Amino acid sequence: MFEMPKVSTSKTPYVFLALGAALFLFGSYWGLFVAPPAADMREVQRIMYVHVPTAWNWMLAVLFSFGCAVAFLFNNDSKWDARLEGGLEVGTLFAFLLCCQGAIWAKPTWGVWWDWDPRLTSTAVLLFAFLGILALRNFVEDPVKRAIWSAVATIIAAVDLPIVYMSVKWWNSLHQEQSTPQTVASPFHLPLRTNAFAVLFLMIGFIMLRSRVAAYRLRRELAAPPVRIGEEAGELV
Amino acid sequence: MTGGVVIGGWEFIWAAYGLTTAAFLIYGVTLIAKLREAKRND
Repeated sequence: MFEMPKVSTSKTPYVFLALGAALFLFGSYWGLFVAPPAADMREVQRIMYVHVPTAWNWMLAVLFSFGCAVAFLFNNDSKWDARLEGGLEVGTLFAFLLCCQGAIWAKPTWGVWWDWDPRLTSTAVLLFAFLGILALRNFVEDPVKRAIWSAVATIIAAVDLPIVYMSVKWWNSLHQEQSTPQTVASPFHLPLRTNAFAVLFLMIGFIMLRSRVAAYRLRRELAAPPVRIGEEAGELV
Repeated sequence: MTGGVVIGGWEFIWAAYGLTTAAFLIYGVTLIAKLREAKRND
């Protein structure tokens, strides 16, 4: 059985969200109007300033979810389950965004919206795995079973993350190699780094707030009065 | 595409930035509303 989770009321997540929003505005302005176009992809390359930060932070969200799942299984503390729910939902949102941004990038550069390339396919697999775990969490009413099953499922799903990361090296992929300061020209560094921190701060704020929502749900479930024998069958009515 | 160089494409750029901004904004607002409701019901 879980202990009643405590819910923080600090303003820290709102500070992260405000900072993230301000940096995102600045980084996107710089990426759209100040940074020079790339030599071959020209203007379309500007999509990189939202796509790559989303990708980096999505990977962090998956790693965070994996860490929460492991921590829960070791400690059996409901706060890790609430954090796991936050990581799962934000990870799903970022994976969905990543696939959409990738498709928008792919059409003018590759000529197709989607290709069953190893990088794209492994990312889509993780998106659907996280969606499945979120669905599982909605269907299971017992908070202990829900926490254990979703933690185990998250650990299994996270095995796909190294495959996503290494896919462009292991296989002959249509997707380009990882974007790092070594593979990206220096005029592109400022908007890329600014948006990377912007999306990181937004992600932290989102996960903190979503974990609080999950903790409040757990509190409601744990505070509910136990059902008396026979009450369900209507004998006491 | 002409000679290996992508021509134009601003509509794709706006779509990517618009989608990302809208997703962050809608998710953030929804989350704050959900949290307020959860607090009220606690």
